[in-house]
Amino acid sequence: MMDDWSYALVVLILAAAAFATRIAGAVLMSFVTLTPKTERFLEGLSVSVIAALVASNLVTADFRTMTATLLAVAVMALSQSVIWAMFAGMTAAAAFPFVFTP
Amino acid sequence: MVRKSDRNGVQPITTLTREGVFRGMHRLLPVCIFVIPFGIAFGIAATESGLSPFQVTMMSVFAYTATAQFAALEFLQDPIAFFSLGLVALALSGRHIIMGAALSKWINQLPVGRRILTLAFLSDANFADSQRALHRGETDLGPLLGGGLMLWVFWVGSTAAGAYGGDLLGNTEAYGFGVVMLCFFAATVFGMVRSSVSMAIPVASAMATSALTYSLLPTGWNIILGAVVGGMTAVFSHDG
Repeated sequence: MMDDWSYALVVLILAAAAFATRIAGAVLMSFVTLTPKTERFLEGLSVSVIAALVASNLVTADFRTMTATLLAVAVMALSQSVIWAMFAGMTAAAAFPFVFTP
Repeated sequence: MVRKSDRNGVQPITTLTREGVFRGMHRLLPVCIFVIPFGIAFGIAATESGLSPFQVTMMSVFAYTATAQFAALEFLQDPIAFFSLGLVALALSGRHIIMGAALSKWINQLPVGRRILTLAFLSDANFADSQRALHRGETDLGPLLGGGLMLWVFWVGSTAAGAYGGDLLGNTEAYGFGVVMLCFFAATVFGMVRSSVSMAIPVASAMATSALTYSLLPTGWNIILGAVVGGMTAVFSHDG
């Protein structure tokens, strides 16, 4: 059991890190002049950060998660609806143990 | 060659409207529902590591970061390594710096108070949703804030549910909720590449970098490195 001061400090550290990182990007960019090149860079960043997050999760993913994610992308390609893609992925993951019983 | 003044003239003025906030809340609702199992899981895990249900709930209210909160649980033993905790929290939240920079073109047109308010609720899901809309011509940042508020409310609520009533809720892992967020992000990336095909190479290089450096770098840094490589690829693939 931790004392109240340690708890408060843990929350403070987490909150400070969260807030600082959330505002830092916009603050830094307010000192940068936007050129077509920097805009290109930022546009690339914005897609890439989500893509990198996905890749990082897929590295340790099991077969079930991989299958669900691939199906979600396939449904996205067909329906162009993120909601349907999520639904398909979740259904695949839930059904997986019944389809692939050892 | 485009001069800066020309670009400023072309650039639309962004707003932060109440109507936009509600639109964002509505749009992110389906995603928010899938936050619930994660929140419950965190609530249960945090009470098991010695925090009171009230402390757990307050942590989610003030330090809404999900991944960094889970990581913080590993540090809750005497003596607490506060400095390491800070570094881990920064690394896990570091991708928000990149997201903030990516949105800066729109965010920095708002008055300072509204910038801070909107950015305080920046997270992966509302970023993914809004950056896609903004690149399509949206000029209202309300949906970014609304989506973020909605995610925060669901995170705090489900954390409290897990902390106060975790024993009654049982195991939520079996239902396939765990993959939903990943499916949302993967589908969003696919949608973004589809509407802007020139992003295919940057996305591929970001994913490859992030995956290949996963075991080499501390958690979180591989995502940041992947994003930066993707951004640089976007610059060079355009020039070349």
